[in-house]
Amino acid sequence: MSFEPKIIGFLCNWCAYTAADLAGISRLKYPDNIRIIRVMCTGRIEPSFVLKAFASGADGVLVAGCHPGGCHYQEGNYKAYKRTLLLKKLLPQFGIASERFRLEFIASSEGEKFARVVGEMVGQLKILGPLQTAAVRIAELDGLFGEAEGGTGGGR
Amino acid sequence: MMKQLIAQMQEIARELLETGIVQTVIGWEKGSRWYLSPPVFVRKPEDAGRLWYDQFAVPNLSGYLLDYRNKNEKVAVFVKGCDSRSVVRLIQDNQVRKENIVAIGVPCAGMRDQSAVNDEKEPHELPLLSKCLQCRYPNPVYADRTVGEAVVDKSLNVPDDLDAGTGLMGGDLTGDGSYVSSGIVERLEGLSSDDRYDFWQKAFSKCLRCYACRNVCPACSCRECIMDSEHSLWVGKGSSPTENMFNALIRAYHVAGRCTTCGECERVCPVGIPLMALNQFLGQEVNKLLEAYDAGIDETLKPPLEMYGWPDFDGLFRCAKGVRA
Ligand code: SF4
Ligand code: SF4
Ligand code: FES
Repeated sequence: MSFEPKIIGFLCNWCAYTAADLAGISRLKYPDNIRIIRVMCTGRIEPSFVLKAFASGADGVLVAGCHPGGCHYQEGNYKAYKRTLLLKKLLPQFGIASERFRLEFIASSEGEKFARVVGEMVGQLKILGPLQTAAVRIAELDGLFGEAEGGTGGGR
Repeated sequence: MMKQLIAQMQEIARELLETGIVQTVIGWEKGSRWYLSPPVFVRKPEDAGRLWYDQFAVPNLSGYLLDYRNKNEKVAVFVKGCDSRSVVRLIQDNQVRKENIVAIGVPCAGMRDQSAVNDEKEPHELPLLSKCLQCRYPNPVYADRTVGEAVVDKSLNVPDDLDAGTGLMGGDLTGDGSYVSSGIVERLEGLSSDDRYDFWQKAFSKCLRCYACRNVCPACSCRECIMDSEHSLWVGKGSSPTENMFNALIRAYHVAGRCTTCGECERVCPVGIPLMALNQFLGQEVNKLLEAYDAGIDETLKPPLEMYGWPDFDGLFRCAKGVRA
């Protein structure tokens, strides 16, 4: 069976979520690998949300919201953008390729862009493979899946 | 010289308390061992004589100001150069009001490394802390008053006559799990992402989740910490690799761009986790991605991760190009 990545998508209520809706209404085809969590604004997305998603077994995380200047709370997407830049640098320190985390600006009229972004991400994640490094290895260490190795670290 | 300085400190404290300008003075006192100078809270003018200062006055006292943020009380706090940066941070974050605090700057020639003590009874020479070897702000960047030859000075300067020492972060990466934070970031650079993960995993596997690092930190000022959340789904109370890592990453991220590199988190960690390495890493990245910025120097400047707005956004895209590629 081929690997089907799991993507958690945090979508802002006003733009990206509406775009996802539009993609559905327009019957656009896109992979069903994404699990959508609706937030009022991307500015609400705390780095812990993203880390929690990875730690809980997501292979990729998408944060999508309004275009610059289009945020319904003025500057939520700017905040998200700065945080994203830094988080993208932090993740590789911990065995998570930065490509697994993506920020996109998707307007409510861009159903097609939403479908395309999800498709692209799925393709990329299939090449990267499952996120063994963090989720599964940590889970192993926790003794959730199988035996934890003795001592510290490296429970591959 | 030190005696004179201490007399001056006591004098200022006495005056501030007697005149009622402040109700509490936070300083250091002579500890129970020759190498300890722990914090002291002086509330009565006649107790001002307890104040003390020497090369073991390591604790950064500015974090205590957070305990007074909801009280109708004025507090004076003694600050070394590095500590004063934390005061600026607290003012920037609106955690303390300038008018409610009196920061008293003290001169600092570097603090000594208590972890290198090998005779508990007989005083002996100790190396300087590694953070002091790298210190760029030996003079307070913010102070309402100063004692001794301390001057308020925001320009970078590196103290010269410092002898080499192994530093607080003691020892190299050795089998017994003691690390030196300085240099870790550079060494990790050459490693694969998975190897870096293993390194951190190993380091944080020791974490007891005592949260001493959080409690001491003057940048950790949330009223309610996510780590204390009642929501068990957020972060479990147990010490497991997932939870430890989550704690480590979130702690470091939340202080990114605001950490003044005072080194307190690493100093208080009972199991010697190289927390400063992660702080340093994020600090460097903020500098590279957004702008060159030293946290806690100028209270009129907003930290890079807290600035949003139109003009700023153009700049963001400019510096982001390389990131997206
Ligand atoms: S993270 Fe550590 S070094 Fe940075 S401000 Fe907090 S206690 Fe000081
Ligand atoms: S002080 Fe050290 S042991 Fe305690 S929570 Fe922080 S990292 Fe973990
Ligand atoms: S409302 Fe869409 S990003 Fe803020």
